[in-house]
Amino acid sequence: MKNIVEIKNFQMKFGNKTVIKDLSFDVKAGEIFGLLGSNGSGKTTTLRALLGFYTPTGGELLIDGKKYDPEDTNITIGYLPEERGLYKKETVLDNMVYFGELKGLKDPKEWSLKYLKRVKLEDKADEKLEKLSGGQQQKVQLGVTIMNDPKLLILDEPTKGFDPMNRRLLMEIIEESHKKGAAIIMITHYMDEVEKLCDRAILLKDGVAHAYGTIAEIKKQHKNKSLEQIFIDVYGGEDE
Amino acid sequence: MNNPVWKVTKFEFIRQIKKPSFWATIILIPAMIVGMFIISMLISSNNHTTDPTINEDTKIAITDEAGVLPKDYPMLTNITKDEGIKQVTDQKVDLYFYIPADFEETKKVDFYHISEGLELFNMDGETIKAILKQATSPKFSDLDIVALTGSFDVNDNKLTTTGESSNALGHAVIPFLILVVYFFFVTLFGGRLLMTVVEEKENRISEMILTSVSTKHLIVGKIFSMMLLGLIQMLTLIIPAVVAVIIYKDNPMVSTVLSQIVIDPVTIITNLALLVFSIFLATGFLTYIGTITPTAKDASQFIGPVIIGVVFPLYFMSAFMASEPSGFVYFLTYFPLSAPTALMLRSAFGTLTTPELIIGLAEITVLSVIIIKVTVKSFQKNAINFGLALPKFGKK
Repeated sequence: MKNIVEIKNFQMKFGNKTVIKDLSFDVKAGEIFGLLGSNGSGKTTTLRALLGFYTPTGGELLIDGKKYDPEDTNITIGYLPEERGLYKKETVLDNMVYFGELKGLKDPKEWSLKYLKRVKLEDKADEKLEKLSGGQQQKVQLGVTIMNDPKLLILDEPTKGFDPMNRRLLMEIIEESHKKGAAIIMITHYMDEVEKLCDRAILLKDGVAHAYGTIAEIKKQHKNKSLEQIFIDVYGGEDE
Repeated sequence: MNNPVWKVTKFEFIRQIKKPSFWATIILIPAMIVGMFIISMLISSNNHTTDPTINEDTKIAITDEAGVLPKDYPMLTNITKDEGIKQVTDQKVDLYFYIPADFEETKKVDFYHISEGLELFNMDGETIKAILKQATSPKFSDLDIVALTGSFDVNDNKLTTTGESSNALGHAVIPFLILVVYFFFVTLFGGRLLMTVVEEKENRISEMILTSVSTKHLIVGKIFSMMLLGLIQMLTLIIPAVVAVIIYKDNPMVSTVLSQIVIDPVTIITNLALLVFSIFLATGFLTYIGTITPTAKDASQFIGPVIIGVVFPLYFMSAFMASEPSGFVYFLTYFPLSAPTALMLRSAFGTLTTPELIIGLAEITVLSVIIIKVTVKSFQKNAINFGLALPKFGKK
């Protein structure tokens, strides 16, 4: 299967501090890929470097065979970052329509209203975003991320802070994107999500890969332990 | 339209004009300033009979072809009107009055003097009488010049030393209005522009937006939206002014002022070009500040230098009014932050030569392009830097 993301010998330093030592992995078209690790392990840094927000100290980070440039790409990307927000003083619908227009949707208003109904926020369409709860805002942000049916969906802790019911709803939405052909890179601390959804994963600690492969391969390398146990073993029970 | 710049421009423009604070800013503040200007103009119009002031050294000459003044009136001469005008342009005479032979029928006196300043009002009969009285008192009383005690009109001819008709204020009106628009734009929209740039970082939108639109399109779209808002602001100044002119066009003061305004297409085009590129430069500076600061509050601390740059040359208005610009004026003309205001001021006062205008415009244009390019890079670099990102100089 074709690689949609290729990361080769990626190194990242901030001043004298090395965050990523020598990281290589790839993500294949159409797969769900788990990017795992404790806080500060380099997951978000890797995604930011992949999308051009950071300039890598060394190595190559490619999307669809080239360095990502929003002005020169044939691939649609949806990115739900760790630091996320929208225009708080604008209405939910205005926010969604704006992003829809930027992402080239034909009828962003129609899509947005349909999505809001799906996530049970149809009555919030004309409310200012700041009036919504954190969870409701996250739903809107996920909608903005997936609205253009991206071929590469990058989700940094998409279900963080959700109650089980909404977590399930969001996972369903993410699975739908996958069924439409999207490759998904997902950062999550919920190992059950990884076991259930991901085809392959990489586990980072201090910018180094400690496990990489299909979920079955990773488990096999670690005496068929659960992903959660493998995570705990790699981090040696240290406080996060 | 599918252009991402247009989409950003539309979004930013619409959300600004929806805010009541926007309308309050663009209507109330200019209204207050215009109101203060009108009041001061009315006060000066009531006092203008003392202008020009005369002193012991003021040389006055009068040609009285109508014979209305006593024969021994001190300033009477036998020179012709043309000779009198020449004496004014040669600066041998400061004020020259020509009372024509048909004065009793026309009730008009011709008045010639050098004027390189910004005199808005023409002399009237009362002013002339005040001058003559001041010049001849106590030897002659009003009774001695009884023919001039009635009401009469004055043809006030302001001349340059080369003998051409002088209308410095008339030439300055349009460049001044364009300068006012620039001044309002930077002072009223500077903070707003900063806010829209910092907002992406402050509300953690940067990463989401920059994977939806390129930094260049985002920044340029924001700048265009501010320019459109500036256009709205300009219209809020122009429309009431045009309406007022239509309503009061028969008012003597308004018609006098209107008759003085020189509408020269070249001046208008060059000043509008200065305005557009100056706005690009100022917005470029302001946007750059927005890219290196984490919050609107932090950014507002850095807005001062840009505003000072715009206002600074206005404190040295008299230096700009001099017919020969000083070294300091040249410095302000080419110093990046003060260049737009200085160039517009010099254009208004007629001291800006064509080569200087071309150099000034080129400088502003090149700087605008550079600052916008730097801003785009800085925004991309600092999009997820949520602390202050002042540029580091020297060794890294």
